[in-house]
Amino acid sequence: MTNETRIDDYLARLRAALKGMTLEEREDIVEELHMHIRERAGDGSASLENVLAGLGPPEKLAEQYRTGLLLQHARSSISPLVILRATMRSSRTGVEGFVVFLIALWGYAMGVGFVVLALLKPIFPDRTGLWIGPGVFDFSFRMGLNPYYRSSNVHEVLGWWLVPVCLIIGSLSMLATTKAIQLLTKRFRWHVPAAMQNGMALITS
Amino acid sequence: MAKPLSVAIEAESSEKWEAQLRKGCLEMAVMASLWSGKQYGLEILRVLERDSRLVLAEGTIYPILNRLRVEGLLRSEWVEAEAGHPRKYYELTPPGRDRAIQMALIWTQFSAGLGSLIAPVLSSAARASSSRR
Repeated sequence: MTNETRIDDYLARLRAALKGMTLEEREDIVEELHMHIRERAGDGSASLENVLAGLGPPEKLAEQYRTGLLLQHARSSISPLVILRATMRSSRTGVEGFVVFLIALWGYAMGVGFVVLALLKPIFPDRTGLWIGPGVFDFSFRMGLNPYYRSSNVHEVLGWWLVPVCLIIGSLSMLATTKAIQLLTKRFRWHVPAAMQNGMALITS
Repeated sequence: MAKPLSVAIEAESSEKWEAQLRKGCLEMAVMASLWSGKQYGLEILRVLERDSRLVLAEGTIYPILNRLRVEGLLRSEWVEAEAGHPRKYYELTPPGRDRAIQMALIWTQFSAGLGSLIAPVLSSAARASSSRR
C-alpha cells in the first residue's frame, strides 16, 4: 500500500466512525487530522507508521470526539434519552458517574410511570386511580382483582382528574431529573471529562 | 522468576499512574499553551512535549481542542500556509481566559497541598540516597 492510500484509508475509517455531528463538523475534523498527518510525516521527523500509531486507531479517535460532544449535548439538552446515554457512558468511570446514572434512571422511570398511569385511565377507568384510606395512599393501576373495589373506607379520590395530575407529576419528575443531572454533571465537570478519558484508557489499555 | 515479573508489573502500574496524571492536566496545559497567542494543533503538541513532560498520545489533543471549542472556551480558524498545508489555529476566548486562570489557581492550590503531604516522603528519599554514597 502506498503512503497515499494508507492515509486515505485511515481518514476514511475515521470519517465513517465519526457520528453524531454535522457533515461540516465531520469534514473539519478529518481535514485537521489529514493536515496533521501530512505535516508530521512530511517534515521527516517521523515515519508515516509512527504518525498513525501516535494517533491510534481511527475508531478510538472518533470515540474520543463523540464522548466529548455527547456530554456537551447532554448539558444543553432536555431529552431524557440523550441524558441517559451520556450518564450511561460516564457511569463506566466511577462511583459518582454511576450514582448520577442511577438517579437519572430512577427519575425518568418514575416520570414515565406517572405518564403511563394517565394514559391507562381512559382505557381502564375503574382499575386506575388514586386510592386513599386508612393506611392506604395508592397511585396505581390494579391488574386482576381490585382489592379496593368493595372496600368502604378506601376510596378513589381523583376520578378523571387523575389524567392531568399524573401528566403533570410525570413531566415535573422528568424535568426535575433533567435539571438535577445537569447540575450534577456541571459540578463534576472537572472530573467527568477527565474521568472519561481515564476510564477509556483503563478500559482500552 | 517471580522477582523480574513483579518489577515489570510495578513499572507498568507506575507508568499508568503517570499517564492518568498527564491526562488530568491536559486541558489546563492546552489552554496555558494558548495563553500568549494562537497556535495550531501540532504546535501545541510540540510545546507540550518540549516544556513539560506531557508527552502524550497525539490523538488525544485534537478531541480536547474540539471539545473546548464547542464549550466556547476556544475559537478556531483555518489559515492557509505556504506549501499548501492549511492549518487550524486555536485561540482562547474571553471565557476561555477566565477558565485558564481558574484552572491555574486550582492547580497551584492542589500542588501546594500535595507538596506538604509528600515532603516527608521526599526528604526520606533524599537522605536514603545520600547515605548510599
